This record gives sequence, structure tokens and C-alpha cells, in this order.
Amino acid sequence: MKKVLATILTCGLILGSLAGCGKGTGSTSASTPASTPASGSSSTVTNTDSKTPTDRPADHVTLKMYLEGSNVTDDTAVLQKVNEYLDEKLNVTLQPIWGTWGDFDQGAVLSLQGAEDVDIYFTCSWTLNEYNQFARDGYYVRLDNPDNNLIEKYGKDILNLLPEVLIKGSTIEGADGYGIYAVNGYKDIACQNCWDVNVDLLKKYGYTIEDIEKADYYSFGDILAKVKAGEGDNFYPLLIEGAVLERMVDNSIIVAGDSGSNNLLSYYINPKKTSDQGAYGNKILNKFATDEFMKFCKQTREYYLKGYIDPDMANPEKANTVRADKQLTGQYLIGTQSYSLGYEIQASKERGFEVAMVPTTPAYVDTTSSQGAMMAISTASKNPDRAMMFLNLLNTDPYLFTLLDYGVEGIHYNLNNIGEAVFTAERDNYMPWTNGLGNVTLLPPQEGQGADFWDTFKAYYGNADEIPILGFTFNSENVSNEFAALANVAAEYVLPLCTGAVDPTEKIPEFLTKLEKNGMQKVVDEANKQLSSFLASQGK
Amino acid sequence: MGEAKNKRKNRKKTLMLLTMVAPVSIWLILLRYIPMAGIVLAFKQYKVYTKAPSLINNIVHSNWVGLGNFKFLFASSDTLLILRNTIGYNLLWIALGVVISVSLAIMLNEVRSKFAAKTYQTLMFFPYFISWVVVSYFVMALLDPTSGLIVKAQLAGGGEATNWYHDYKPWPVILTLSNLWKNMGYQTILYLAAITGIDKTQYEAAAIDGAGKWQQIWHVTIPNLRSMVIILLIMDLGKIFNSDFGLFYSVPQNSGSIFRTTQVLDTYVYRALMNSQKIGMSTAASLFQNTVGFILIMIANTAIRKIDPDSALF
Amino acid sequence: MSEIKIRKRNRLQSVSLPAEIIINLLVGGFALLCILPFIFVIIISFSSEESIRLIGYSFRPLEWSTAAYKFVFDMGSQLWISYFNSFFVSTVGTLISLLMCVLYAYALFRKDFKYRKFFTFFVFFTMLFGGGLAPTYMVCKQMLGLSDNYAALIVPALVNPFFIIIMRTFLQTSVPTELIEAASIDGSGEYNTLFRIIIPISKPGIATVALLTVINYWNDWFLAMLYIREPKFYPLQYLLMKAQNQADFLIKNSSVIGVEATKLLRDLPGTSLRMSLVVFIVVPIACAYPFFQRYIISGLTIGSVKG
Repeated sequence: MKKVLATILTCGLILGSLAGCGKGTGSTSASTPASTPASGSSSTVTNTDSKTPTDRPADHVTLKMYLEGSNVTDDTAVLQKVNEYLDEKLNVTLQPIWGTWGDFDQGAVLSLQGAEDVDIYFTCSWTLNEYNQFARDGYYVRLDNPDNNLIEKYGKDILNLLPEVLIKGSTIEGADGYGIYAVNGYKDIACQNCWDVNVDLLKKYGYTIEDIEKADYYSFGDILAKVKAGEGDNFYPLLIEGAVLERMVDNSIIVAGDSGSNNLLSYYINPKKTSDQGAYGNKILNKFATDEFMKFCKQTREYYLKGYIDPDMANPEKANTVRADKQLTGQYLIGTQSYSLGYEIQASKERGFEVAMVPTTPAYVDTTSSQGAMMAISTASKNPDRAMMFLNLLNTDPYLFTLLDYGVEGIHYNLNNIGEAVFTAERDNYMPWTNGLGNVTLLPPQEGQGADFWDTFKAYYGNADEIPILGFTFNSENVSNEFAALANVAAEYVLPLCTGAVDPTEKIPEFLTKLEKNGMQKVVDEANKQLSSFLASQGK
Repeated sequence: MGEAKNKRKNRKKTLMLLTMVAPVSIWLILLRYIPMAGIVLAFKQYKVYTKAPSLINNIVHSNWVGLGNFKFLFASSDTLLILRNTIGYNLLWIALGVVISVSLAIMLNEVRSKFAAKTYQTLMFFPYFISWVVVSYFVMALLDPTSGLIVKAQLAGGGEATNWYHDYKPWPVILTLSNLWKNMGYQTILYLAAITGIDKTQYEAAAIDGAGKWQQIWHVTIPNLRSMVIILLIMDLGKIFNSDFGLFYSVPQNSGSIFRTTQVLDTYVYRALMNSQKIGMSTAASLFQNTVGFILIMIANTAIRKIDPDSALF
Repeated sequence: MSEIKIRKRNRLQSVSLPAEIIINLLVGGFALLCILPFIFVIIISFSSEESIRLIGYSFRPLEWSTAAYKFVFDMGSQLWISYFNSFFVSTVGTLISLLMCVLYAYALFRKDFKYRKFFTFFVFFTMLFGGGLAPTYMVCKQMLGLSDNYAALIVPALVNPFFIIIMRTFLQTSVPTELIEAASIDGSGEYNTLFRIIIPISKPGIATVALLTVINYWNDWFLAMLYIREPKFYPLQYLLMKAQNQADFLIKNSSVIGVEATKLLRDLPGTSLRMSLVVFIVVPIACAYPFFQRYIISGLTIGSVKG
């Protein structure tokens, strides 16, 4: 039996490696041999002083780029123009792979694991090809590798354009040491949680927005009671996303690299000034054991029992759709909402009533938000140099970026007299995910955003404070078994507790015991150990 | 002389039969046995071999971690509960499934109106087309805390509504009903086809001996179903550590408060790994499930070969 | 009325009338329960999105609407292309798959086949053990070139070990061994025996496996997700699952994608649209059902015994 298995395995390996070779030769015929880019790049090195390699490389290369969130059914018009332009500039043909929400995860991960000949991948802190883990496992090229510094050679322009916080957030410990493994997109990179207030309804009951601004979660009771009484049994004034609500009330934030445990680890920020340390200093905590958490859960339970919170909010499969629907139809008084610039105006227009956003903290940048959308070059790419040149051009050239993102002017959009883009019907057939492509500040503003939109944008996001532990990412490799068990514990307790669906005095002790039994303390200790050495390396 | 002829004939027969198994065998080698090399991932920590990345190079150059990838399966303080649920539901449903689907097949066969029999049978197959997600909508229309039909009925009856998605006690029943509902049509059709395939002379002989319909069922139909029952049982046994993921995940709406009765090995593994892409651990999980299944099948098969060699798997 | 009289005449060879009534009630009742959720699907597909938003999935929507169907028909060519793809893949796939399955199962059924045990184990083993998704994907895509073609939708699902074992069991229950021996003595070739003698008397089993195979192909979307990028190869089920996957993903990640997710989610096909696609998927296969059913429910009622 053993022998048979051994034979089968060997056969499999041999055939598999043959396949691997076949693949290798197959793609070399299409492009340059694997070794050429390194040697070929020496010719380009000579003119790096001029910042961009203006000289068009001699050999032609096809670049494949795997994107997230696309809704593209017809890209011929766009690609024709894009490739005309790229051919002239970089001697490159671009072949985008239009991944969609949901399919991208599976597709990109398989493609990466199988080392397919895709050059550039979308990556970030929340897809399955998660930036930190995949950089650590060697899937992405280190762009500032001292041995072959692609950024130095071809990507300096990007560094000049991007805010410093972004670079800081993307500099991590990867397979080739501490460095940058992907080019950040520049989109809504800061976090700010707000109370989303239905102002029309608020006014109907004689309150003003100041009443909300003055109050906090624990003193919403009177307002909620009055509105509930007035609007009837089927109306739930508090429209919440459980986990987000808890973070807003207690000023805890999630720790990057912790998604594997369903975000059990917490860091506390300073709600007044986010660049300062919070109440617990630079420590990572098991927040569920704190008194704040118990207090929060008790209050939430009270609101739940009084009928202020929709029981659907405790249903993980349904909560978000119901929440979105109720926001849209105004079936709420106070909601939770993560903010992006100009959202209150957009929301008021969409929902047809006045919406106000009352922030609970200033805007801040943490590791997770800075890694919201990125482009990484695969280590399996045969042409990493050209890929970097392309990324540099894409993120700095308004013509190219707009073409790829909005489509062709005159077909997919037109510019109005103040320079805003107005989409045509043809745009429905070509809708990449705008924020997933890179530096969105290169785009013309969209209709209604105003001509000076990007100035406001840069002022808001470019000046957002960084939290003291920006750039820190937890590496869970040493505690992966604990993580597996804890992720299940989190799924069992967090949402019901944070929405008030269960009794905290009974469930929290049970929850804490289970966390303890499944190694929470070990994880917290490991996280703090890593955090201290991170802070030490940063000179903090 | 005759012996040599026989030998040649036998060799020709074997050859012909070998040509019959060839197409499937080739397929199995290409699409099953070659990829099986990937099983070694269960014992490795998969990292990219950055010098020359390819699946095969990555596998070869990744570090061995022994049984490290299997540990997470037993890392939870709830391991016993999870195993109890997984095995318990499977055993219960295997037993119920055989009894109910065999009975349904026999009854369906006795429905004299052909039109009615066909209609029933077509309808019974419908659940098989409907995904668990859709089933979960249906269950929710009954149990939703605000608009569910059953909840409304409970309230209208003056009672207190059950908080279905936060009360673990009713879920064994709900899951069992959902499972039977979805799978009975499928199993019934297998038994029904087996009944239809029974050599009709057996019934004629029984009828001539004066056997009534019930006796015919008992003495002809059921013995003839034995092979099918045994084969399906053996197969089910091999999946004793697997569960229908959609049933345990979507139908209870992924609700944490009821894990005590809805958490099974597959959902545990899914929740443990869904946010991190750990190919070694997921390979290890299925290897564990399948190895247990394999051992059980081998034991069961050996036992059956002793009792009823014709029905054994091999 | 007259029907009952005919029944009475044959009552002797059949179950008693009360027993039959009970049987009809039990089986019929279960059958009704089975169709209920599909009726529910139809109701949702005719509910307005507004109604779903306000009161959730309900048997009695606030407002009826045909918007979902309108939208599906407005999809135009993609719908019909996908219909064709599903039809084509299911037909061709089932024919090849069935032939391979019957050949293999027949050899396993033959007790005098020298390597019977080996080949039984050979197929059974793959029912439990596989190399996992990534290695299979690489073999299919890079070795076999299954990418953006019909073969990618057909080949990976050609063999189902479970069906082979079931088919062998069907042969065991329906083919008397003496028949093979007789054929062998007559000097009939192996293929001749299989196609002339065995297949005609194993129709119920073959029809069952064919039905299950057709359904497998018809319901498949995973292969399309893995190997197909060009919409002209999308099968129908993939259109539905794509919408479902997108919605699920955005719902799960809405807090990290942020404000945009809500908007993106709203641009996706709504539930009523997805349910109408379910209707589009289920109805054709349900119509194909009687074709197979003919062989599965045969005239094993009293008539055949009498005749």
C-alpha cells in the first residue's frame, strides 16, 4: 500500500513539474526569458536620474493584472486606447482580468498559489489574498528590495504623490525583510466613525442635531424613548452594526493581521487626539474583559429589550442588507456609519431627507485603513520591472488612469463645463471598481462633487492623524491553532452581545471563560510582545 | 487443446473489459491521482519558493511541519461537542434516511395511478434543485423574530414567541426536518429505480405461491433492495465526519448563540480559516475527515464481506 | 368513478383500498411539502423589491411586481447564450459521462473480471481522497488547457465515483448472472453483450444515473467560476451564483469597504431578480424530468404482472 502511494506521489510530482516546465516555456515564447528583465534593466538604470524611464524599452511585454470588484462586460474600446498608449510609452500590452466581488477571492488566491503568469494583483487588508500574510508567504515582490529596488528605479513618482502615512502603512515585515510589498491606492484612507442621524425625524420630535452632539450613547435613552413611542412598534430608532457600535462607544479599534481570529484583539485610541495614546497606552487588550465592555453590553441590552434595536441586527447574514435598506428609507433615528468625505451630502440626496453625520473621533489612519486598496507584483511575474513601470505610470498619469477607470471620453463619460465627469449609458458596460485601481485623485471629479473636490479630499485625508501604532501588523503564525479556535468563539458571542440579543450578565462570563480556555491570553501576550518590538524599532 | 483455447478466450475477455475501464481510469489518473500529490500540503507550511515560483516548487521547498496543521482541529475547548454534533446528526440521519426513503419508494411504487405516482415523484425531487441559501429564506419566513409566520402564530395564540435564532434547543429538530426534506427525494429515486429494475418473474412466482401484496413487498422487494441499502450505508459511513455545509451554516443564519447544536466540524473549519488563507490547514482538515471515513468504510466492508459478500463494496 | 371500479377488479393483487388511500395521503402530503419552497421562490420573484425591503421574504408580499422578469428578459442575448451553454454542456457532458460510467460499472459488475477488485478500489479511493482545489486547478488549467472553452465545463465533471458505484449496484440488482453466462456461451462479444443485452434491461438504473448527471451539469457553477472568464461561455447557473456571490461578499465586507459597499450592493440584482433566475433554472430541468422518469417509474403495477 505504502509503495503504491509512494509511486503515485512520485508520478504526480514528476508530471506536475513537467507541467510547470511546460508553462515556463510557454510564456517565455510570448515574452522575454525570465532572466532578461534583470539584465535588461541595467540599460534603464543608467537613466533613472531622469526619474521616469522615458526611453521605451525595446522588447514587447504583455502584463496581466487581476482586479477586484469589476463590472465590465465590454472593454474593447478602452483597451484599444489603453494599449495604444502603453505601447508607445512602455512597449506593453495590458490584459486586465476583471475579477468581481466574491469571485476575486477564490480566483486570485488559486492563481497566486498556483503561481500563474499574472503580473499584478489587487490586494488589501480585507480580501483573501490579504496583503500582510501573502507578503510574508512570499507571493509579492518586495518593491524596495535593496538588491533590486524597483521603486528607486521606476517608481519614484508614486512616492512623491502619495501621502507619507500610506507608505508607512504599507511598509511591513515580509518574506524579503521589512519593506514595501505593494503600491498603495489613494482613496478614502482614513477612518472616522459617525452617528448617522435622520435629521428630519429628529426635528419632528423637537430635537436638534446639537442634542445628539451633546449626548453620548449612554444618554440617548430619552430621545430614543420619545421617538419609539411616537413611531410605533415596528420602528426601531437605533440602527446599528454591532461590532462597529462597540468600537465607537468604547474607542477600541481592530488590530491589523487579526482578521483570522475574527478581530478579537483590540487597541484603544484617544478619541480627542488620535495621534496620542489612548486610555490603555500602547497595549493590545482582550477588551471583552474590560468594565467598559460590560457597561456597553448592559446598555445595549436595555435598548434592545425596550425595542430600540431591530432583532435583525443580530442576524449576521441579514443585518447589513436590512441596515442599508432602512438607511435608504429613513426607518431609523440614529445609526452607525463609517464615514467618507462628503457622505452626508451624497446620503441626503440618495435618501431624500436630511442626513447629518456626527463623528465620535477625528479622522485617523490605522494600518487596516491605509491598506484598503493596493497593487502588488507577483513573485511569479516574468516582468516585474515592466510591471513597476506600468504601476508608476498608471498612478501618476491622469490620462491613463482616467481612461482605465472611467473609460473613453465621449463614449463612457463626458466632461461638463466645470470639468466634472458625467457618465453616459455606455458606462454600464464598463465599470471597474473606481477605488480599487489606484490613485483616484488623478480623476476628474464626478458630477455633483464640485470642481475643487480633490483639494478638499487631499486636505481631509492627507492631514488625517496617524495612530501611534500605524504600520503594526500582528503575525499570528505562532498562535494559529489558538486563532482557529478563537475565531469560532468570536463568531459565537460577539454579535449577539454587541446587539443586545442576549443577556450580558449571563453570557459575558461564559464568553470570557471560553476565551481563556482557548488561549486568548497567549494570543494577547504574543501580540504585545510583537507590538513592543515594533515600537522599539520605530524608536517609540 | 481446449484449455489453451479457453485461456485465449479469457485473455481476450480481460482485454475487452480493460478497454471498458480505460476511459474512466485515464480520467481518474489525470484529474484525481496526479493532483493527489497535493496531499503532502497537509504536512507542510506552504510558502512561495520565490526563486522560481510554481505550485510544484512551492510544495517541494516548503517546510515540513509534521502533524502541526492538524492541531487546530482539536484546539477548541468545544472539540467534543463539535464531534458529538457531527457524528450524532450523521448517524441519526443515516438511520432515518434509510427507513423513510425505502418506505417512500415502496409506497410510491404501490400508488396505482401512474399519473399520481409521477407527479408525487417529480415534486419530491424539487428540493434537490433549491440551494440551501434559498431554503434558509424559507425557514426565515417562518421563524423571523419580527415577521415570521410561526412567531406571529405564537403571539396570536397569546403565548410568548420563541427567539428561534438565539435558542439552541429546537435546532436539532429544525435541522433534521430540513435535511430530510431536502434529501429524501434523491434517495427515494435511487431505491425506486432499484425496485423497478427487479426481475418481474420474482413477483409472478410469489403471486403464484399465493403471496399477497404485503408479503410480496416483504419477501421480494425488500431483499432485492438490500444491495442498494448496504452500498448507500457504506458511502454514508465514509462521510461521517463531513456535513452538509449549507445546511449548518445558512439555515441557522450563521447565528452564534445556537452553536451548541449547529456547530459541526465543517463549519468549525470554515470559521477557523475563512479569514486567512491557510492551504495546509484546510488540506489537513479534509485529509483527517477522509481518513476516518476511509477506515470506517474498510471496517464496514470487511464485516459485510463476511455476512453478504455480494453486497460488499469490494 | 369508473377508475375506482377498475381498481376494485384488480384489488386482489394490490394493496387494500384503505392502505392505498393512506399511502396517497402520506406520499402526496410529503410531495406537497416539497414543492412549497419552490412556490415561495416564485412568490419572491414576483414581489416588489420595496416589499422585500419592508417586510422581508414573505408569502404575502405587500406589492406584486414583474420587474424582475422584465429585467431578466432585458438582459437580452446573455440570457439566451447562457441557456444554450447550459443546455449544450448538460447534453454533451451527460452523454459522454454516462457512456464512461456504464462501461466502467459493467466491468466492475463482472465477477469474472480479473482486475475487478483493483479497479473498484481505484475508483472508490478517489471518492474520499483528492489533492484539493489548488493542485486540481493547476492540472486542469495548465496541463489540460481547460480554460475558457466548453471542455472546461464538461471534462472536470465527467466522472463521479459515486455514480459508478451506484450503477454497479443497479446492475447487480437487475441483471441475473446467468444471463451473462448464457451470452458468453453463445460467443457474444463483451461489447455486444453490454449493449444488446445488459443495457436494455438496466434502463431504470441508467436513467437514474443519467438524470443525476444531467442535474449535476445543469446546476454546476463552480467550474465556470474557476475556469471561465469570457461571458460567452457562462452557463445559466453561473449568472445566478455570480450575483449571489457578489451580494454575499459585499454584505460580509461592507464595514471594510465602507460607504461605497452600500451603493455597490444596491447596483446588484436584487433578491426578486435572483429568485426569478432560480425559476428560469429550475423550470427547464423540471420539464426534462419526465423524459427520464419514464424509465424509472415503469409499469410495475399489476398490469404488467397480469399481462
